[in-house]
Amino acid sequence: MSQFDAMFQPIQIGKLTIRNRVVSTAHAEVYATDGGMTTERYVQYYEEKAKGGCGLCICGGSSVVSIDSPQAWWSSVNLATDRIIPHFQNLADAVHKHGGKIMIQITHMGRRSRWDGYHWSTLLSPSGIREPVHRSTCKTIEDEEITRIIGDYAQAARRAKEGGLDGVELSAVHQHLIDQFWSPRVNKRTDQWGGSFENRMRFGLEVLKAVRAEVGNDFVVGMRICGDEFHPDGLTHDDMKQIAAYYDATGMVDFFGVIGSGCDTHNTLANVIPNMSYPPEPFLHLAAGIKEVVKAPVIHAQNIKDPNQAQRILEGGYVDMVGMTRAHIADPHIIAKIKMGQVDQIRQCVGANYCIDRQYQGLDVLCIQNAATSREYMGLPHIIEKTQGSLRKIVIVGGGPAGMEAARVAAERGHSVTLFEAKEQLGGQISIAAKAPQRDQMAGITRWYQLELARLNVDVRLETYANEEAIKDLNPDIVILAVGGRPFLEQVPEWGAEEGLVVSSWDVLDGKVAPGKNVLVYDTICEFSGMSVADFLSEKGAKVELVTDDIKPGAAVGGTTFPTYYRSLYAKEVIMTSDLALHKVYREGDQLVAVLENEYTGQMEERVVDQVVVENGVRPDEALYYALKHQSLNKGQIDVDALYAIKPQPCLSESTQGAAFLLFRIGDCTAPRNTHAAIYDALRLCKDF
Amino acid sequence: MLTSLMPWLLAVAILLAVVGALRRARLWLRGRASNVNVWAGIRAMPKRYLVDLHHVVERDRYISNTHVATAGGFVLASVLAILLHGFAWESKLLAWLLLAASGAMLIGAVRVAKRRQSPPDRLSKGAWMRLPKSLMVFAISFLILSLPAVGLLPEGFGGVVLAALLTAGIVWGLAEMFIGMTWGGPMKHAFAGALHLAFHRRSERFGGGRSTGLKALNFDDAQAPLGVEKPTDFTWNQLLGFDACVQCGRCEAVCPAFAAGQPLNPKKLIQDMVVGLAGGSDASYSGSPYPGKPLGEHKGGPFQAIVAREGKGLLDADTLWACTTCRACVEECPMMIEHVDAIVDMRRHLTLERGQTPNKGAEVLENLIATDNPGGFNPGSRMNWAADLNLPILADVKRTDVLLWLGDGAFDMRNQRTLRAFIKVLRSAGVQFAVLGNEERDSGDVARRLGDEATFQHLAKLNIHTLQQYSFRSIVTCDPHSFHVLKNEYPELGGEYVVYHHTTFMERLYRDKQLSLKDWVGGRVTYHDPCYLGRYNGEYDAPRQLLDALGIDRVEMTRSGFRSRCCGGGGGAPITDIPGKQRIPDMRMDDIKASGANVVAVGCPQCTAMLEGVVEPRPQVLDIAELVAQSLIEEETRA
Repeated sequence: MSQFDAMFQPIQIGKLTIRNRVVSTAHAEVYATDGGMTTERYVQYYEEKAKGGCGLCICGGSSVVSIDSPQAWWSSVNLATDRIIPHFQNLADAVHKHGGKIMIQITHMGRRSRWDGYHWSTLLSPSGIREPVHRSTCKTIEDEEITRIIGDYAQAARRAKEGGLDGVELSAVHQHLIDQFWSPRVNKRTDQWGGSFENRMRFGLEVLKAVRAEVGNDFVVGMRICGDEFHPDGLTHDDMKQIAAYYDATGMVDFFGVIGSGCDTHNTLANVIPNMSYPPEPFLHLAAGIKEVVKAPVIHAQNIKDPNQAQRILEGGYVDMVGMTRAHIADPHIIAKIKMGQVDQIRQCVGANYCIDRQYQGLDVLCIQNAATSREYMGLPHIIEKTQGSLRKIVIVGGGPAGMEAARVAAERGHSVTLFEAKEQLGGQISIAAKAPQRDQMAGITRWYQLELARLNVDVRLETYANEEAIKDLNPDIVILAVGGRPFLEQVPEWGAEEGLVVSSWDVLDGKVAPGKNVLVYDTICEFSGMSVADFLSEKGAKVELVTDDIKPGAAVGGTTFPTYYRSLYAKEVIMTSDLALHKVYREGDQLVAVLENEYTGQMEERVVDQVVVENGVRPDEALYYALKHQSLNKGQIDVDALYAIKPQPCLSESTQGAAFLLFRIGDCTAPRNTHAAIYDALRLCKDF
Repeated sequence: MLTSLMPWLLAVAILLAVVGALRRARLWLRGRASNVNVWAGIRAMPKRYLVDLHHVVERDRYISNTHVATAGGFVLASVLAILLHGFAWESKLLAWLLLAASGAMLIGAVRVAKRRQSPPDRLSKGAWMRLPKSLMVFAISFLILSLPAVGLLPEGFGGVVLAALLTAGIVWGLAEMFIGMTWGGPMKHAFAGALHLAFHRRSERFGGGRSTGLKALNFDDAQAPLGVEKPTDFTWNQLLGFDACVQCGRCEAVCPAFAAGQPLNPKKLIQDMVVGLAGGSDASYSGSPYPGKPLGEHKGGPFQAIVAREGKGLLDADTLWACTTCRACVEECPMMIEHVDAIVDMRRHLTLERGQTPNKGAEVLENLIATDNPGGFNPGSRMNWAADLNLPILADVKRTDVLLWLGDGAFDMRNQRTLRAFIKVLRSAGVQFAVLGNEERDSGDVARRLGDEATFQHLAKLNIHTLQQYSFRSIVTCDPHSFHVLKNEYPELGGEYVVYHHTTFMERLYRDKQLSLKDWVGGRVTYHDPCYLGRYNGEYDAPRQLLDALGIDRVEMTRSGFRSRCCGGGGGAPITDIPGKQRIPDMRMDDIKASGANVVAVGCPQCTAMLEGVVEPRPQVLDIAELVAQSLIEEETRA
């Protein structure tokens, strides 16, 4: 038996044969344009997964069936109009061409949306109770509206069928309208739509009946449910078993997708898309519990990223299919690589949740480490072809994300690549980020690059500081600087960085400075680094106060990640204080006094601590760049028109004979941004070398 | 004195030779009956000797010229000597001819002696080191004997001394050449060889033909042994064939198992059979032993088990299980001996009578019996890999042009890529095809090579029965083993089909302009000939023509074509897994690397698996179907 044979058993869902057991489950892509149509970007994003071997794609998380379930906030797919049908045909053709199957999740989100834009919709819910995550108020739904929306579901399903899709998944998860009726927490009705079990089930059942009546028995209709809402007053696992068995008994449900946790609070929402702080498949037991009571196949997705893990779950018979959705965002060719025996070449999701955290801000879903994902339509490749042009000597300085990606892409193109890294290991700031508690999986990004650079025979020179001579000695045709930057502590001289009164978060995480006992962390950036260093220090036993001049610590950390930081920080009694700017630090005896100034009143207050850690972002390291700039043919300039259009840099066609070379700088050594930006810079620049 | 002695010497030599021949023939005839046409064989023998055998010998130019001179000279000189000196014919012309014949023989003999000055390892030593001397003595003796007869020397020249010397020389020469020929000296090869060629059990091989399918055991004959336990279980003409061995060691030089240090040497194996034929031990064998097995420890006799049930017999079982059935030995044998037949005959006994198929062998055979495939996979999952391809199933469509035989590679993730690539090619060419789907069973190849003839015939009959239900023009397969079995081994069991290997089929599609191909870009490619496609079926050209059609920079390995070295994957060898000093696929990968190629094109799932099992870095392994599929000019299907 082959190592991953359980993954490659075909499965029958209704009349549909699916080639393997791996699903890209429904997620909000934020790619539908033109009023919620599945246009080119959308189609090519799914085509790439099908090309990569994915068995079933369920697209369009929270695709709306009705005009009063707002679509535009998250650019989700709009099934409330027949205009979608030809777009679905494009999508279905693209996926079917590669042997994949595609369905779409359809829903009415009820109260779980925003009302303050677009149509200024009045949101609807069984009992008009406010939803906290979206801060959304709503009206109590009326019978006429219920009837209309049931019809909208049926019409939406018809549009999916006419568009050639292989099925629909009714969303009864994440507190959408169907499960808002289910949950006594938000359904306080006493009419036929609330109260008893049968009454609470009625809306879902009527939707199911109407959909079935419209599409017949040959079209797949599934249902996504949660396995336990994790609210004391919510639906328990036993409730969910009862619900699943109830709908399964109708014979109208072809499959169940099961995930753990409700999500109408910030804290439960973080469970739904478990980030790297969670163990593997944390809620599999809930899906397995549902599988015990239903006949229809069960799909489960949540933190399943690795083929061995998927094989183990399937072989154990816990569920029938595994969702590997973020795994496909990180590497849409994951299945092809398993089949090719290239498991080592899989770019594995690390659970940074850059994708989903962007989605909750209404931004398009992107992968922290794979800049080609969802940019297929722009011509960014997942598989880099060898160049047909001349082979060049390329020297890259800096082994952080920008430098590693540049080295990988240039080497895939067939060039001879040397990568200098001053430290003893690759990774750059990723290595620092991975030092924090619960953030170690960040290092998975580096792990993949290490394997790839070794496979591609890149000459990686660790612990080698590249100066001007060392670079020119190699006679390069192209020099790429990706040297990053340094903590920006000198911005406010009163902090006393020069006298050593404050230290950086890097110093602490890297172990250059021992953790203090009583520490003030001052974080102006409000992203991961400040939270991470506070978490790190408190784990080492320090008493920590995390202070920011922003509106709250971690304000810029996404919706699925700040809750896991908060859980850890609150549990360790870290004090989080906002609206205070660090004015000055001075020494008093063997203690440090930090003077804080209230942003809004100007009032000063002091803290007496033994360590002050400042997180003020990164200052680009520009010295090497300016040393080389005027010796380069292109004066270090990147043609932004070409870069943004994903076209080759015009200067690549110039001859680089003699001592002259082309010079580019990418990543944080240009301006401090993030991992994705660094990798995107590198990919789009180097793919045409 | 010599003149009056000569008729007697000749008569005694001939008489002794005849006695020896009868004695030898009695040993052969202990073997089982064989269905050969004796008279037709005898009539065809000279041509087989002079043409077919010579073609093989000629691969070594030096020795073929040497052999023509020596053997031709000897035969002519012997006939003339009998006429001139035995029957005392008076003819100056014949005397000149005898002079010329013995002169030619002398030249040949000198060349033999030269080859023997520092003989390659593959040549046996011992008595074979004496042979060039005997040849020279024979030739010189008759040369000198002829000189007075043609008038180049006066009669009585040299007097008694020369006469005595000549007498001694002639006695020596006749003893070696006439008596030794039938009593077991090196010259035995000429006598046994001639008869072996006449009574060869694969007469189809002569005249440029090919006969490579194993012969079926007749399970209806209750008397027939299940394979070969003791030498007399071979047919008489097989035994005769062993005796034809000239110990040139060409088989040894090409045997992959021998090179890998596994305990097999085809030459020694044949010589062991010769020992068994007459009884004795291998102590006097003077060639390379089986690697790791010292000489003198093994012995046997015509009625003793070849592989002893306890202790040591004629040879050990691991010698038989080391063979990959690659047929390199058979291909190289100038005497056209059938080593592989003999090995499989002996394996049949070990598997069918003793149940002693080593290592994973028993498990594989059990799998084949229980699941119809060697991997023991759920037989209902044969089509899992193609769930997204919508392949027409013969049970549904009933008739088709091409039946695509998937082989057990359908269960293997690597081979599934080859199958998918080939299906892409078929679809691009608009070929109407269908598959048997879950009705297909293993072809029986592995079972048969492992000696389990019963399971082979069972599987073959089931497949033949299934195929009878449907109508198709031809069978195409990506697996040379299935190809060989379906094409060459099913007919004996009643299944006659037109079968193509996928490379042959694709080459035809290309020639018929059904494929539009662009050049394949990806570096330098060498082609590894699968044994079961090349040596077993003679297809060397189509794969190369396809590569050329793709505009590929093709390089040849030193060992390619009919001399291709086995990947180590045939004959169940990876299953019986006899240890050696190195792995055969590693050696083959060294051949590939030495060619300077960065891609090795293959046409066999077994070769693919073996070569991909070599640790990286190494050239990439791609099936020709993959190369073709990558080079298809596809019409954009999306609007």
